[in-house]
Amino acid sequence: MASRARARSRGRARGQETAAPGIQAREPAPKVSEQAEAGLVGRGRQKTAPVAFSEEAALEISAGFHQVKIGDRGGRRRDFHDAEVNTRQTMEHVKASKSGTSGSPIQLSANFFRILSRPQWVLYQYHVDFKPPMESRRLRSALLFQHERTLGNAHCFDGGILFLPQRLPNKVTVLQSMTNNGEKVEITVTLTNELPPTSPVCLQFYNIIFRRILRLLGMQQIGRNYYNAKDPLSIPQHRLTIWPGYTATILQYESAIMLCTDVSHKVLRSETVLDFMANLRQRCGPHSFTDVCAKELVGLIVLTKYNNKTYRIDDIAWDQTPCNTFTRGDTDISFKNYYKNQYGLEIQDSNQVLLISHVKRVTQGQTPPGPALLIPELCYLTGLTDRMRADYTIMKDLSAHTKLVPEQRAGRLLRLSENINKDTEAQRELEKWGLNFDKQLLSLTGRVLPPERIIQESRSYGYNPRTADWTREMRGLPLIYSPPLQNWLLLYTRRNNREAQSLLETLYKVAAPLRISLQKAVMIEYEDHQESLLRTLQHNVKAETQMVVVVLASNRKDKYDSVKKYLCVDCPTPSQCVLARTVSRPQALMTIATKIVLQMSCKMGGELWSVEIPLKQLMVVGIDCYHDSAAGKRSIGALVASLNQNMSRWYSKVKLQNRGQEIMDGLKMAFAGALKDFYKFNKCFPSRIIVYRDGVGDGQLHNVVNYEVAQIIGSIKSMGQDYMPKLSVVVVKKRINCRLFEHSNGKMFNPPPGTVVDTEVTRPEWYDFYIVSTAVNSGSVSPTHYNVVYDTSGLKPDHMQRLTYKLCHMYYNWQGIIAVPAPCQYAHKLAFLVGQSLHREPSMELDDLLFYL
Amino acid sequence: MLQLFKPSLHTQRHDFVVDFVRRNNPKKVADLGCGECSLLGKLRFHRQIKLLVGVDQNGAKLRKKMHGLAPLSTDYLQPTFDQLCVQLYQGSVTQKDARFRGFDLVTSIELIEHLPLDDLEPFSKVVFGYMAPQTVIISTPNSEFNPLFPGLSGFRHSDHKFEWTRVEFQSWALNVCSEFGYKAEFTGVGRAPPGQEQRIGFCTQIGVFHRLMVDRDGHMFGDNAEDNYPYTLLYSVTYPSLRDNNILRKFLVSELLCWAEKLKKEWLEKLTDKLEEANPVEKDERGGEYGDIFWTNSPVPQCHTLHRHVSVPLQLLWTCCPKLRELSGSLSNLRQLIVDDPQIKMNRQRSAVILCSLEQGDEDPNDLTDSGYAERSHVEEEH
Repeated sequence: MASRARARSRGRARGQETAAPGIQAREPAPKVSEQAEAGLVGRGRQKTAPVAFSEEAALEISAGFHQVKIGDRGGRRRDFHDAEVNTRQTMEHVKASKSGTSGSPIQLSANFFRILSRPQWVLYQYHVDFKPPMESRRLRSALLFQHERTLGNAHCFDGGILFLPQRLPNKVTVLQSMTNNGEKVEITVTLTNELPPTSPVCLQFYNIIFRRILRLLGMQQIGRNYYNAKDPLSIPQHRLTIWPGYTATILQYESAIMLCTDVSHKVLRSETVLDFMANLRQRCGPHSFTDVCAKELVGLIVLTKYNNKTYRIDDIAWDQTPCNTFTRGDTDISFKNYYKNQYGLEIQDSNQVLLISHVKRVTQGQTPPGPALLIPELCYLTGLTDRMRADYTIMKDLSAHTKLVPEQRAGRLLRLSENINKDTEAQRELEKWGLNFDKQLLSLTGRVLPPERIIQESRSYGYNPRTADWTREMRGLPLIYSPPLQNWLLLYTRRNNREAQSLLETLYKVAAPLRISLQKAVMIEYEDHQESLLRTLQHNVKAETQMVVVVLASNRKDKYDSVKKYLCVDCPTPSQCVLARTVSRPQALMTIATKIVLQMSCKMGGELWSVEIPLKQLMVVGIDCYHDSAAGKRSIGALVASLNQNMSRWYSKVKLQNRGQEIMDGLKMAFAGALKDFYKFNKCFPSRIIVYRDGVGDGQLHNVVNYEVAQIIGSIKSMGQDYMPKLSVVVVKKRINCRLFEHSNGKMFNPPPGTVVDTEVTRPEWYDFYIVSTAVNSGSVSPTHYNVVYDTSGLKPDHMQRLTYKLCHMYYNWQGIIAVPAPCQYAHKLAFLVGQSLHREPSMELDDLLFYL
Repeated sequence: MLQLFKPSLHTQRHDFVVDFVRRNNPKKVADLGCGECSLLGKLRFHRQIKLLVGVDQNGAKLRKKMHGLAPLSTDYLQPTFDQLCVQLYQGSVTQKDARFRGFDLVTSIELIEHLPLDDLEPFSKVVFGYMAPQTVIISTPNSEFNPLFPGLSGFRHSDHKFEWTRVEFQSWALNVCSEFGYKAEFTGVGRAPPGQEQRIGFCTQIGVFHRLMVDRDGHMFGDNAEDNYPYTLLYSVTYPSLRDNNILRKFLVSELLCWAEKLKKEWLEKLTDKLEEANPVEKDERGGEYGDIFWTNSPVPQCHTLHRHVSVPLQLLWTCCPKLRELSGSLSNLRQLIVDDPQIKMNRQRSAVILCSLEQGDEDPNDLTDSGYAERSHVEEEH
């Protein structure tokens, strides 16, 4: 029976056996996956296996191994590291080198530890065959390891493939074992491969070993990371507990195999789901309770009191209570009695509803796939709800605990390496395999790009390279262009009359030196209800209205949403919302009014500043997406494309799509629209296009490379067969684990904006680089990762890096450098507005404006 | 092997022990030949047990399995007053180890049939004569059941040195009883098909042995002068418990601060309402180390607003929060436990907790412009 079919039939058998929640065996020991691919490769090898290991054969086998996944919990794993995608080989101009040259060198440390192995270290891979064949993986494992004396105590076995650190005396070893009921089994262990340290299988193997080590150090695994539960931090006022921990990945980086590890914090609620539900009911009342409860809970991850597994809440079983029964063995048992008998857990509240979790992955000896019912009283929430994330005080208190300055962060990382080196069990495990970790953080040299000059009309100025901000420098300088504002409205409630008046006066005051021509606004009072606000808009916004400013009395999302919906979709007009509270403090009003007037200007097509862009006829495109988990799992793709040489005018388009639809399907039209708009502005098509693609999740890179690039090329082709611009596609990633520290006088600092790294910590199979482009006031700065997956531009890496950095200066909602190129941030902002407030595509009339800022 | 039983025989044996533990509340439990540690893994949930120990000859297996006995993530989140220590030893049950004396319950599940017959006597000497626990549970296959297994010839497991009939097991057991002063009851798990229960008996036979002599710490332990420790301790873990003063303090402080913040918030809201009603609270002339105190004339202790601080009386917290009462037992105990905690600031009389009122300068810098859904791109995020 093929292993795929075997796995399936086994799953079904278990499915009939029991549907109890959380009945589970203990975590099985790390095993190599038994999934289909592994089985296939295993069988394939079996036929060809016992041949001499010529170099080609070894190569061929390793190549075939792309598909093999070792899952340390037996399940099939996504390739989160996109290791299968090799794009660099297709780009001639970066094959030899992908390093830039400009800038001044800087000494850096990075959160990487080298993996050290003995010289000539090899991992031996064996194929294991059982005669008669044994179904159960556990049994196969038990039978094999009756021969630990022959095989040694260091081994890693998935039921088919065995890894050992040493070569057995013979290529084929035949062993005799006996099952519990006396059945004789012949086991044939055949050497099939000698894996060099860099083989992809070895990398997966290292990760398994490292996870074993973290477990030996007493860390608890939650999701993909490991946390130390013994040393929690607590934030009592929000009932939060934080567990410090680490993320860890071992990969082949540019020149060495390294462990990349970063500090991670797990936020847990120190209350059960039942407590949480009780609080919620108290807060929102019994009428809306069911709705609110489902909204807040669905999607959250819980930990249970009786195992170390995490479950995602998928639904709430309003008709079930702990008194309901399920079948266990031959008898029915209530949840209440089950937990009492099995785990000594007394369920106090017999009337609570139950939670539903769809268990997707079947791991050995565990619950079958399908809904598992969980008891709220026995579950703890992990992570933050969206409401908490939006709560400024909670986030502030959290970051006080979780933000670490470089010195602290590096200290934590070094402590991990120290602990591994100190722990005898961990050392024993590593020694068994002949591996070890470097004790020091990786040091490397980066480059700091020279700061850009900001251009406003005929003048240009520099900025403080450490703060990366030019709020002060631009004061009193005229903008490049600002459309005169002749016809505009200012809406306010009676309560905020005073704030509205002073805002207006200040706006006039700050507009003059910026050369924004501002006529008198029409002041309109509205009643503080959603309907009357909408009515006021309907009555007063005319075709000639250029801008609507609304002073909102409170931070109520529904009012904001209805303003935006009306003015972006129904009656396309640039609008600006301001919270009354924001403009209520006179001492801050000048600053705030300046920001507001700048925002108003660019929403109408104003051009604030620019940097020097040496490439002509260039169109830069930013793509991002937003996943609306609440509204039917729709996703929203946004595309923003530059229209002029200054990168100051942009074409913006957003597409809503249903679940399962590819982002680019919708954006193909938008891309063509951008090209046509570019033509309208420039009387020609761009001769170069650079696409910055943000919002690509872990493991989705192959999709961009194999699918989206072709879609983009298709869009370009649709402009005419002979139109062949130079095209670059760059995947932008902000949430990464790489951290860089400036290393100076034995201390660690945040590297300055403009720091570029394109060696050591990059990946050999990619044309990629890191740029630190922001300055942070607290904590450690995070570099942004750029991966050029397609490039016919012929641009030197140095030029690609510098252009990317320049574009980080061009986001008009922030007078400073941001973490990603401006079009990505625009696309993000647009997708967010549509996903959060509009839920519809905005009117076409706004396509040429940054109306969503 | 065909699965004849539901739940599996293995599970039924463990359920038998778990059930015994639930009814008899032993405090110290040892499992001999704990192997995969699966019984220990189940027993650790039954927190009447304070000490849970396993021993097995196969150290490699224990090393592999021992981390499964570590406390669960959630045990750290809300510890209870229950205490539990889990230990694993590598060793042979035919050797005497002083650390295994004085237990309430010793289990030996499907172990004896793996011992060579010569080892059986040292085994009973060690278990019944030396360890001498209150209760011993021994399970072993009932060979009378074997004909019901299709295709089975010989023993059920290749490593079995013997398999006994009911009579053989019981006669061995009764000998042990008379030699070491125990009385035995016989039962089992895995029922035979209806009608054959009497003739065949259970698939697994179980003997439950109770010690007749009750004095635990009398002469029984005095006679062996030298204590031997031949077993190797491989793993030892103490579960978090509120009996640990550090953990208790941590929890008290969290709970206290949570409630204090809540009361502070309510108080400040009330205060603003009052101010809006143009009915200012009285000013306290006494001042104090935190400057002006606003005071109300209520007989019940209430929060006070000090100069940019709020004082929350301990008495008020004590009355409001049942959890605090439960955790600390008495108000003075509570005070004593928290007074030195660096997270807690108290007034001079040690009667109230002082919190910052933080009314100003606490604006979200991000809700400047359009909506409160602002620009966080430049702010570091990590969770």
